[in-house]
Amino acid sequence: MLRHLAEFWRRRDLLWHMTVRHLRGQYKQSVLGYAWAFLNPLTLLLTLSFVFSVLLRFPSQGLPYALFVLVGLLPWMFFANGLTTATDSVSGAMNLVTKVYFPREILPMAAINTKIVDLFFGLIILAGLMMIYNHPPTETMLWVPLLFGIQLIFTAGLAFPMAALNVYFHDVRYLVGVVLTMWFYLTPVIYPVEIVPSKYQFIFDLNPMAILVNAYRRVILLDDSPAMDRLLLGLGIAVVTFVVGYFLFKRMEAGFADRI
Amino acid sequence: MQTASNSAIEFHNVTKRFQLRESSLREFLPSFFDKREAAPPFYALRDVSFTLNRGETVGIIGRNGSGKSTALKLIAGVMAPTDGTVLVGGRVSPLIELGAGFHPDLSGRENVHLNGSILGLSDREIDDQFSSIVEFAELQEFIDMPVKRYSSGMYVRLGFAVAVHSNPEILLVDEVLSVGDAFFQDKCQQRMHDFKNRGVTIVLVSHSADTITSFCDRALSLDHGVLVADGPAKQVVDDYMATVPHHVEAS
Repeated sequence: MLRHLAEFWRRRDLLWHMTVRHLRGQYKQSVLGYAWAFLNPLTLLLTLSFVFSVLLRFPSQGLPYALFVLVGLLPWMFFANGLTTATDSVSGAMNLVTKVYFPREILPMAAINTKIVDLFFGLIILAGLMMIYNHPPTETMLWVPLLFGIQLIFTAGLAFPMAALNVYFHDVRYLVGVVLTMWFYLTPVIYPVEIVPSKYQFIFDLNPMAILVNAYRRVILLDDSPAMDRLLLGLGIAVVTFVVGYFLFKRMEAGFADRI
Repeated sequence: MQTASNSAIEFHNVTKRFQLRESSLREFLPSFFDKREAAPPFYALRDVSFTLNRGETVGIIGRNGSGKSTALKLIAGVMAPTDGTVLVGGRVSPLIELGAGFHPDLSGRENVHLNGSILGLSDREIDDQFSSIVEFAELQEFIDMPVKRYSSGMYVRLGFAVAVHSNPEILLVDEVLSVGDAFFQDKCQQRMHDFKNRGVTIVLVSHSADTITSFCDRALSLDHGVLVADGPAKQVVDDYMATVPHHVEAS
């Protein structure tokens, strides 16, 4: 495992070039290009705000609903889009995989990396919204890189086995889509976790995305540190997911080129 | 595991079996419960053993489906053997389908970096060799143009140029010596001879008897995945040609 990680680190130049390659392909042939990375979260934000704040009047921890939902929506979109793209990353590069050896985990990692660019566009919207609502940044926002690191480890840990399995069974990409839809509603993105009855609370205690979304809200909007026990649990789940996912990926890797 | 100090590639009783499998769960699940319907396996290589020494130039000859390409893919590390062991000592550069990693929307310059890093070069090494790569490919005026506007000849020239600059210790060549115009072909041949003189191990796969006899010291002959001959290139190729009907040879 450590040997594989060392090899992966040695080939970091390739990770960078693969990321650029993905990025170039992403919005090519589209008239608006990268404006989509901006329009996508913006339209979702406006729709969700209208439905759940104006029509349904969801509580939002005393915060403006748009701000509340966006801080949950951006990490969720990064997670969901990253996992979806990464699932197709190896099966979509078979012409390369069957010809040259390089550490295959570079493909899902590069796919996830490209979503960091989308996330950056989302952060511009967030900064604008914080200005509109006169919500200045706080020192607790320094937690964000750590939270994002945990999220990245968790996303990669899930993406590895999904990308590998999708080489063998193309059903996996559809399965990922279905699971992500369920997962979205079971993560407190559009509603605060406080409205969940205590007998269902365990779902959110064990859902790393719920832990992360709650933590992002606390450090970005509520000027508070993350709940430490939750954060450590989230970190633990993320690391275990990564180790198991990476191990499974490396086990399946040798058979990738046999699939023609 | 390591190769012995003077050998570059070792095959120990290597078998490669392909099980034709189903690519969706709809097909997989029934066959999983009902083993009778499983398709018979296909053997690309059967119990093949050989050792190639450092600096040797070896041709692999055989008809379509004899296992030549599978052997190259095992050496390249793209595939793993079903049984047996493949040991490779040194940096492998495959000249297989040149420019496989090119992205049409990226410029020649960006693709040199992308392709070079796929072949295991660091950005630093690529920067050092960049002008030499471009000069070799004869694409100085076109290097900042997206490669989708390249002609197929330009595409292959750039792919070849990157591959030969990747400082290989083992070079795998799959019928690519016939790229570009006659002038470029000469240059490729020249470069291959340079590699040979520098002690690079070269494995060349071809149907062409002439290419192998003129370039290789040694040849392996494969027939339906079985190694049928291993010896001096001229002798192995002559024996192979004796088994091929003449009208096939002419094509």
